Amino acid sequence: MITWMRRNLFRSITDTILTVISGSILGYVIFQVFQFVFITGRWEIIQVNLKILLVGRFPEELMFLVGFSILATCFSIASLASGMNRPIDQPPTLAGKLWGLFQRFGLIIATSAFLIVLAGDMAAVLFGAYVVLSIFAGRLFGIARRNTPLKRLPGWLWVAINATLPLVLIFLTMGQAALEEWGGFLINFYLAVVSIALSFPLGVMLALGRRSTLPLLRWLSTAYIELIRGAPLFVLLLLAGVALEFFIPASIAPDAIFRAVTVFTLFTAAYLAEVIRGGLQSIPKGQAEAGKALGLSTFRITFLITLPQALRNVIPAQIGQFISLFKDTTLAGVALSVFDLLNVGTAITKQDDYLGQGLIYESLAFVGLLFWVGSYVMSRESQRIEKKLGVGIR
Amino acid sequence: MSNEVFKDASKMSGGRESDDAIIVIEGVFKRFKDFEALKNINMQVGRKEVVVVIGPSGSGKSTLIRCINRLEAHDDGHILVDGTALTTDIRNIQEIRKETGMVFQNFNLFPHLTVLTNVAIGPRRVRGLSKSAAEELAMELLTRVKIPEQADKFPAQLSGGQQQRVALARALAMTPKVMLFDEPTSALDPEMINEVLDAMKELAQDGMTMIVVTHEMGFAREVADRVVFMDKGEIVEVGTPSEIFDNPKEERTKKFLSQIL
Repeated sequence: MITWMRRNLFRSITDTILTVISGSILGYVIFQVFQFVFITGRWEIIQVNLKILLVGRFPEELMFLVGFSILATCFSIASLASGMNRPIDQPPTLAGKLWGLFQRFGLIIATSAFLIVLAGDMAAVLFGAYVVLSIFAGRLFGIARRNTPLKRLPGWLWVAINATLPLVLIFLTMGQAALEEWGGFLINFYLAVVSIALSFPLGVMLALGRRSTLPLLRWLSTAYIELIRGAPLFVLLLLAGVALEFFIPASIAPDAIFRAVTVFTLFTAAYLAEVIRGGLQSIPKGQAEAGKALGLSTFRITFLITLPQALRNVIPAQIGQFISLFKDTTLAGVALSVFDLLNVGTAITKQDDYLGQGLIYESLAFVGLLFWVGSYVMSRESQRIEKKLGVGIR
Repeated sequence: MSNEVFKDASKMSGGRESDDAIIVIEGVFKRFKDFEALKNINMQVGRKEVVVVIGPSGSGKSTLIRCINRLEAHDDGHILVDGTALTTDIRNIQEIRKETGMVFQNFNLFPHLTVLTNVAIGPRRVRGLSKSAAEELAMELLTRVKIPEQADKFPAQLSGGQQQRVALARALAMTPKVMLFDEPTSALDPEMINEVLDAMKELAQDGMTMIVVTHEMGFAREVADRVVFMDKGEIVEVGTPSEIFDNPKEERTKKFLSQIL
């Protein structure tokens, strides 16, 4: 330890000076943060408003819908992430499984536990428990499924059902509870999940379109990608707020959530298309030639040979796009007056009890924390998937 | 215009084609921009014949066999494989690709699929076999090239020689009538060349029609029925191995052989 310090921190006079300066700055920052978090911070504003921060003014009696749809979403993510066709050489032990789960979801669990304690509110407790349980159930199910004889078709059916279930439930939820009654983090979560699910296939299509040998398709894809990438997301969101009225009568105009999902999907798809195109370009020509020599059709060469390799090569960049989409959902709050986490977070500081007390720090810190947890989990998952797919392949 | 030529040509060669010619190449030209890669190539390959194509690099030998399964499109002339003319018609192209297997210099195995899936993908997706039938066939072929124990590994976990044998099995899984080899041992370490050549020899003994582009003169001498020497996009000399190697007639052949032997 001391040798390490001497070697890395105090090797020369400049090193020592730099260490002392940066050390004291770091110490000061850490001290300030600790003081804020544990002493001066007035966290009761979060505690009191926790439910509204997480799900908006969602009717108490319909909370089970939220639970179910989150459950379904987690199931589908877990069964997708568990690797459909991966052969298992040595099935992990139960303890190994649990440890793996803890490593991967410990952060979510800790956050949920923290929220539950903070809330002491039955609805929030249920909410947290739903999230934790559903992730565990989804993971265990995903692991168990691979070793059963019912492998391929049921697997895909399961994924298909799971992918549609949350969507159905969202629409059900939105139909039942008036739109302005749901909000908070739930909105950010679903904006992100739905937009990711929709933008991925669109992005793949655009990438293939831009590489197509059919000129019309290529020009259209290129024009679309360049047009969308040339516009700031915020402008597009503002436009979506007003422009749709030109085409659709106001009486049946789609609601703000729909508009936000549309914009996020179209926007992310354009970026994703370029990322995936880069991946496709990294695949050597010999791969397609080998497919041709076997007599595979162009369609099969793309979907069985080049595209899977291309997608694997650009996992980090893809996940990066998804993470930035997830965080950009806060823009919908500002541009389209969606009652999302950030809007709720700023609104609660204007409640009678807290007005003018400068509690925006606490509120924004909490908002930031939730987004950080989400982004960090995504980034970790990306590394894990990459490692898993990369085994013995490169 | 070229279509007209094709129709006539296929009629003509249909009449002329002897029973044992499986590949007929007539008056084929291939240009890459200003560079003429193939100049007026005429050649026939009989059933069960093993033809080895030799020549200096850039002589057009790879281009020639890549034209046979349409990885390159030839510009003039016509190519018939087992009675099917190679035209721009995608159905003809697919038909011919099903009948011809190819082994590449760089193996070109699919790195994201296991060895077994690499071999099974052709029969499964092109011939329409069931998954279990395709995998059974794949296993059989892996046994034939002597690496059944590697079936569940990924290509990158195998040695070069093993990878090339998987590539051979993958091509054979389509039960082709003709096998094309594009410098199959050029990317291999010396100690692995023989395991691939041995597998190819066995294939030749089993009566496969083969066109082999290679620099392995020992293989050519031992296995080839005919040796074709190409230079600058032209066929310079054709003959039995002993005619070409022991008694070459053309100056260019002599010069090439003196350089490599």
